[in-house]
Amino acid sequence: MTIDGIGAGRLVFPESIEQLSECVAAEKGSVVPVGAGTQLEFGNPLKSADCVVNLTRLNKVTTYNPAELTIHVEAGVTLKHLHSLLAANNQTLPLDPWNGADATIGGIASTSAQGPLRATGTIRDWIIGMTVVHIDGRRSKTGGRVVKNVTGYDLAKLYTGSLGSLAIIAEISFKLRPSFPATATALARFSSLAEAESVLAAIRTSKVQPIACELSGPKHAVTVRFGEHPQAVEFQIRNLPKASWEVVKAENENVSLENLHRLHSEMGPIVLRVVGKPSEVRGIIEEYQPSSWIAHALNGIVLMAFDDASAIAAVRRKFPAIVERAPAAIRSEFGTFGVQGAAKRLMVDMKRTFDPERRLNPGRHIDGE
Amino acid sequence: MQPEIVRKLRQIMGPDGVVVDETALLVYECDALAIFKHPPDAVVFAQTAKQVSEVVKLANEYSIPFLPRGTGTGLSGGAMAAEGGILIEMQRMNKILSIDVENRIAVVQPGVVNLHITQATAPLGLYYAPDPSSQMACSIGGNVAENAGGPHCLKYGMTTNHILEIEAVLSDGEIVRLGNPAGETVGMDLVGVIVGSEGTFAIVTEIVVRLLPKPQAVKTLLAAYRSVEACSQTVSDVIAAGIMPAALEFMDDKAIEAVEASVYKAGYPRDARAALLIEVDGFREGLEETSDAIVRICEKNQAYEVRVAKDDQERAQLWLGRKGAFGAMGRISPDMVVMDAVIPRTQLPGVLTEIYRLSEHYGLGVANVFHAGDGNLHPLILFDSRRKEQVDKIIDFGGDIMKVCVAVGGSLSGEHGIGIEKKEFMGLVFNEDDLDTMMQVKQVFNPRGLLNPSKVFPTRRSCTEIGKGTTTDTATIGKRVEAVLLRGAGDH
Repeated sequence: MTIDGIGAGRLVFPESIEQLSECVAAEKGSVVPVGAGTQLEFGNPLKSADCVVNLTRLNKVTTYNPAELTIHVEAGVTLKHLHSLLAANNQTLPLDPWNGADATIGGIASTSAQGPLRATGTIRDWIIGMTVVHIDGRRSKTGGRVVKNVTGYDLAKLYTGSLGSLAIIAEISFKLRPSFPATATALARFSSLAEAESVLAAIRTSKVQPIACELSGPKHAVTVRFGEHPQAVEFQIRNLPKASWEVVKAENENVSLENLHRLHSEMGPIVLRVVGKPSEVRGIIEEYQPSSWIAHALNGIVLMAFDDASAIAAVRRKFPAIVERAPAAIRSEFGTFGVQGAAKRLMVDMKRTFDPERRLNPGRHIDGE
Repeated sequence: MQPEIVRKLRQIMGPDGVVVDETALLVYECDALAIFKHPPDAVVFAQTAKQVSEVVKLANEYSIPFLPRGTGTGLSGGAMAAEGGILIEMQRMNKILSIDVENRIAVVQPGVVNLHITQATAPLGLYYAPDPSSQMACSIGGNVAENAGGPHCLKYGMTTNHILEIEAVLSDGEIVRLGNPAGETVGMDLVGVIVGSEGTFAIVTEIVVRLLPKPQAVKTLLAAYRSVEACSQTVSDVIAAGIMPAALEFMDDKAIEAVEASVYKAGYPRDARAALLIEVDGFREGLEETSDAIVRICEKNQAYEVRVAKDDQERAQLWLGRKGAFGAMGRISPDMVVMDAVIPRTQLPGVLTEIYRLSEHYGLGVANVFHAGDGNLHPLILFDSRRKEQVDKIIDFGGDIMKVCVAVGGSLSGEHGIGIEKKEFMGLVFNEDDLDTMMQVKQVFNPRGLLNPSKVFPTRRSCTEIGKGTTTDTATIGKRVEAVLLRGAGDH
């Protein structure tokens, strides 16, 4: 197995958290946790991989009591498995990351992966507790198993999105929500960005509350998804700003969402996740002229594809921007996160505290830029 | 406090921005958890982040402890100057700096009262969701420090889910801006870990909050039961039916008795063993059907009375009793202490049985109010502060309740925080490695331990943490349980 051109020295498949702990404790070199491998090119290029720890066999559902509206799973459980288990009980975790449902839940948490449902939040909003394994093999937990909890520091926030660079996520507790009683997706295509934006602006101040609202280009397509009581879904569709909407449900809705995922997978070679405000989305696209884009229009987050890496520095002069996809050399040159100043210093200190010898996923996160 | 330091504080704050008079300092010796007291050596009234930064730098220069304080409504001693030092009062930083309707965000200073955000944004059709019961008095900065909750957490989440960006003064005095208006994690979620750090990581000086559109409609109903089990089963069945209530509040007979004997009289059925207040909100379309479905679930579980509020006035009436429940305790007991614990919600019947048994064992009354949706239990321990033998038992009774909650998979605090109050109980839920990891993270933010010392971690740990700066043994403060009225002061 090779990640960013680095070959794995050893590949291990722990089958329990205890085994994970033991094999990390025994390792003296670098340790690289991986899940289903759907996002191995996200993050700064890895510097070494003496021991790659594959977590896909850590795939037990520890506890699921639907009446509690919580579930506790090991990191290697796939989103697909989790969703099917929850759906059988009319519950869900509203996540639809671009990297697909074959991704492991630990991988989604480590990368804070997201998709069209970004409008309802990200995985951080659903995590209520975590058990992690540290680079010396020690285990620690944060949070708990109840949906509301302020006991101790909320370290799950730190582990989420830090690309396995602080500790290895071994188990996660989630709060859940009931399945959306009904869903429907409205699609429309516009002749210009300005036209699409005027509809989005109307949505932002209207009564509707989509669970996803994506603007994709260069074809200026708007995808608005609703998830509510059936009558409330119908109400919202009726109250969409005037446009030639095509409303799709059930299987057709899945097809339209798959199309969106395909669009995302075809973006490149460089994809930036630019962080602005909803009202800035149009301006961001006009200013930087990406070759294609998908915006979480209600969140102000724009994924933009470029051929030329010079766009990265240009965008970062005005907006925070994450390199979501790029060849290793470009990730290395610009850094995946581009964080500066005191924030970066705190992050570097955090990495040093958790992993003073820089053996855990070396170079992958903030220590690589 | 050395005159030289006081002089320097006055240079930073202006002549009326510093209080060092011993009598005046007594006002700041505790927050709403008045059983733990220790005065600061000085109070400064901050008006700008720059002032906070300069005071923090000064405190560092002289190795003096310092901490922020909002409106002092906290219930875990988070804003109590456990080791004296400089208390930085944030109430004068109370401006709503901007409201952006289109992007649904507001930029506010930390001293802004929680409810004022909702009041300012209501005419625009928006509101700020987290609503701790003290929302008329508590500050948003304090909410951020404690990750405050409220009755609507189940559906809308806690403070942490609504804070997008912050400006903060770090423990060395540096002013930083973290996060972004999209709430997107770029690198590490430092905002997420500062929220709920109980004022031990940084002093927040500006906050960007998420606003939500006001629900179009609300339905509120009350169901009365002859057994706790039936009441509890209703909660499980509502959840199982795929309904996400905005609020689901449980009250036991003692709580109902107190409410009905008080000015908060809401017309609850007096003979009920337990009652549920259920609220659903959202789009008008479909809400009636959801409400009907809940009524059927209540009836299926032998609710002997189900009352659906017909209008806003009836709704307010139903809430009056619940919101006044803490204040109403005065009708049945001279004094009370509000506990805060979390349990998996299905464990309620067993936990209540155990709490009633403990109540008998200690000879102290107890009433229970429970955010049944999210498992947050608030036992109210009733006592008479004139009777020393009762006062002496409160801490043990409270401790036993904690142990019961933790034993069924629960946690120490759902919304009040650990602060001073529960730090000695942290070992019940976290082992050495868990606490070491938390301490490591604290070291990154607060390496000298001067920012809000003696909080969150058990005493032995906090002593080693701050080393020679320690002047007061907070464990002995903890034993100095004084007679205090907590009536109506609650964040619940």
